[in-house]
Amino acid sequence: MYQTFVGLEIHIHLNTATKVFCGCKAHFGDEPNTNVCPVCMGYPGVLPVLNQHALELAYTVSLALGCQLSHRTLFDRKNYFYPDMPKNYQITQFHEPVGQNGSIEFALADGSTKKVRIHDVHLEEDAGKMIHAGDMTLVDYNRAGYSLLEVVTEPDLASGEETEAFLQAFQRVVRYLGVSDGNMEEGSMKCDTNVSINKAGAGLGTKVEIKNLNSSRFVKKAIEHEQKRQAAFLEAGNKVSQETRLWNENRDVTETMRTKEGGLDYRYFPEPDLPPFVPDASFLKRIQDAQVELPLARKQRLVREFGLSREQAEFVTDARFTADFFEQAVRASAASGGSAMANWLMGDVQKELNHFNLTLEACPLTAGRLASLQSLLDAGRIHTKIAKQLLVSIFEEDKDPETLLQEKGLESIATEQQLAPIVESVFSAHPNVVAAVKAGDARQKGFLVGQVMKATGGRAAPDLVNALLAKFLA
Amino acid sequence: MDPTFETRWSQFSAKKQAYLAYARPMEQKVGSFLTYRPDVEAPQAGALQGLPFAVKDNIAVKNFPLTCGSRMLETLVSPYTATAVARLQAAGAVVIGKTNLDEFGMGSSTDLSALGKTNNPWDFSRVAGGSSGGSAAAAAAGLVSFALGTDTGGSVRQPASFCGVYGLKPTYGTVSRYGMTAYASSLEVMGIASKSLALTEKVYGVMKGRDPYDQTSLDPAPGVARAVKTIAVLDGLTDLEPAVQRAYEAALDHLKALGYRLLPVHLGTLDYAVPAYYTIATAEASANLARFNGIRYGLRPEYAENPEDLIRKSRTAGFGDEVKIRIMLGTYVLRSGFQDQYYTKAQKVRTAIRNDLQKVFDQADLLMTPTFPTRAFVHGDRSMTPYQQKLADKFTVTANLAGIPALSFPAGLEEGLPVGMQFMAPAFEEGRLFEAAAKFATRVAAPDCPGTSLDWSK
Repeated sequence: MYQTFVGLEIHIHLNTATKVFCGCKAHFGDEPNTNVCPVCMGYPGVLPVLNQHALELAYTVSLALGCQLSHRTLFDRKNYFYPDMPKNYQITQFHEPVGQNGSIEFALADGSTKKVRIHDVHLEEDAGKMIHAGDMTLVDYNRAGYSLLEVVTEPDLASGEETEAFLQAFQRVVRYLGVSDGNMEEGSMKCDTNVSINKAGAGLGTKVEIKNLNSSRFVKKAIEHEQKRQAAFLEAGNKVSQETRLWNENRDVTETMRTKEGGLDYRYFPEPDLPPFVPDASFLKRIQDAQVELPLARKQRLVREFGLSREQAEFVTDARFTADFFEQAVRASAASGGSAMANWLMGDVQKELNHFNLTLEACPLTAGRLASLQSLLDAGRIHTKIAKQLLVSIFEEDKDPETLLQEKGLESIATEQQLAPIVESVFSAHPNVVAAVKAGDARQKGFLVGQVMKATGGRAAPDLVNALLAKFLA
Repeated sequence: MDPTFETRWSQFSAKKQAYLAYARPMEQKVGSFLTYRPDVEAPQAGALQGLPFAVKDNIAVKNFPLTCGSRMLETLVSPYTATAVARLQAAGAVVIGKTNLDEFGMGSSTDLSALGKTNNPWDFSRVAGGSSGGSAAAAAAGLVSFALGTDTGGSVRQPASFCGVYGLKPTYGTVSRYGMTAYASSLEVMGIASKSLALTEKVYGVMKGRDPYDQTSLDPAPGVARAVKTIAVLDGLTDLEPAVQRAYEAALDHLKALGYRLLPVHLGTLDYAVPAYYTIATAEASANLARFNGIRYGLRPEYAENPEDLIRKSRTAGFGDEVKIRIMLGTYVLRSGFQDQYYTKAQKVRTAIRNDLQKVFDQADLLMTPTFPTRAFVHGDRSMTPYQQKLADKFTVTANLAGIPALSFPAGLEEGLPVGMQFMAPAFEEGRLFEAAAKFATRVAAPDCPGTSLDWSK
């Protein structure tokens, strides 16, 4: 009877070589305080210089999310003291963000789709990182000044499950665009979650913000916890108070961080050190050129175009590289359909990748090699078992299927002319079995097949073996 | 103007002992420097070859302290050099010290420095003005050929007028702010104090121009050069100290005698300039000074409970009262829900002032006002309340709010103390300032401060 409203403030680290306002390397995990300079350390007199690439990526995301793009984007200062924030204000965008009023469509578990509105997309800088050690606090500023993109949604999500699916879809989108690796566990994607509940039809309730969520799983759990907590509160006749809560992942609960009364006044005002940015035609062209078919659209197209099942399409489009690989392989092996190719990727290819601990991006199998493997099958030059054997050889030897086929002499024995003498010799070696089968003991037929296979080193085409056996036994 | 000024100063390295014999005792009396390192060799090449200069101690020079006149940064040594300073060094000039200032540039006497006391070379009982008091005093006392200051609301021009030297505030953005400790970012620019107008112009020429490290910087784009003919003057100017009033009237006579047409104008927005200025300046300062928290550099307590406690203790002990007042005022005017009433309104006043000045410049080539309503006052003078002292900034802050160039020039002595007048010009028209000031100097030259000399260079 309660309705839940979830809105997200998603932060992603943009894939820029350098930080957003200085030339320092944007690389986390290096020796602490080595990727720093007077600018990102907030020395007196320094000024920010806007990283054009970060701005391009911000516009690229905004356009992909269908936002209205700002023709004159501005930066603002957000004032608050925090020990790991060098200037004690964050350069962000408040009055005129890069993009506004967009939306993103994603698939729910039942296969239907849902649209979530995007309030705005804005570019800002990240802070450093505090490390508490005993009675000491250490600060690493390597991360200070990273390009951070914040995407703010409207409260259009209705459950923890839905939100988890949305976050995974969002992650796919930023990975497809190549703007971020979107990894929540490693901190390159973070998400503050606003949850409110209310009686169905009564509109939004009082918003509670949850921070410290570093996986989409925790987001789901935290929303579900909040639903119960807030419902119990309302049931008891209380009002939910507006506050910020922290997710405690050890106890699976949210805990008060600060109440509204203790809320901060960020005193936003225009950043005087950065002039407005006005994108020109060539900038907008680059943004346009950077657009890609988004995962959901691609999934729908693959179902349409190649007759994939939903499960196949979901697997193939999970990563852009896999989807590209798939389409290239299908196109290169003209004879076969997409379904066979999808099955390769979901089954044996995935198995070998796991076995060799490799990724599709960095493994000996190319789309061309998979396509020629499939073409050998389609042409009847090998059969399925040999194909699987060849796949393993590709991974082991990094050679083309055709070469491996020649080197190993694995081509199918697929003509009656070649196979008939072999069948005859098996028959003459096992007259008792032949007699038994002829007398009606079909179970022993398998033995004869096995003997033919053994004699041909497994290369006999199974269909032909069966056909010849039938013929000779007749 | 002394045509041999530069030639004599270029002897600095060659006549080092003679210079030091003169300069050391003089500096003892004036106290213009917080760091004084005259024992350097000046390069002997470039447009400014061999010229020693001083840099206000809120401007970064690598391996020099960068105290900003504050306990907070007393121990800070700059890891980098401001772009404008680097350009001067590349042109052959050499930094010989860092000059005293009101803490973080907040004040008009240099008495609000936490780290030193600067006296006016004309009368040691008086202030040198501020906040670039050390720079103006060093230039007037013959300790340097020129000195860099920063001008947020008059901080180069007012001390220049108190010390009887030229003080240039260039057009906003024409000189890079990279390396200049920010007080009010949208208002301030680096400026020059010197006894020589010609050198001031030359130094400006070296410093100016776009800098990739300052995205608000630009290349000056002056209009078609034209001779200055009409100079606007304020109608019904009151509230000047009588001595300044006399100097002002005398200056008007000199301009007439030089053949300029004087055009009385009414600047209706002038009375709103100071409130608008302090609203914007303090708002920006409240953010700009937030970085000083004792964590990465600067003053920090011996012991703190936690990072928040460390920040609170550092700022409590590190900042002087005036700095704290301005941070609090700026925090107040930026509160959410109150911005329309203060910050946004001040920005509207700023636009109105700009428009008002544009109208003046539609009819006149320059605008002349006194630089400051008084001459140098004595240390600890209580005759003006802090509020009145701030109101006295109205002539200077106007140029900062409008972003236009202004030059304070010596307009004679009154009862033994220098008085400065100020020319303002449209953006990028520094050339008009230099042209008119040079003509004015044919009638009233920059005065020689008693006890100072360049004799060591002979």
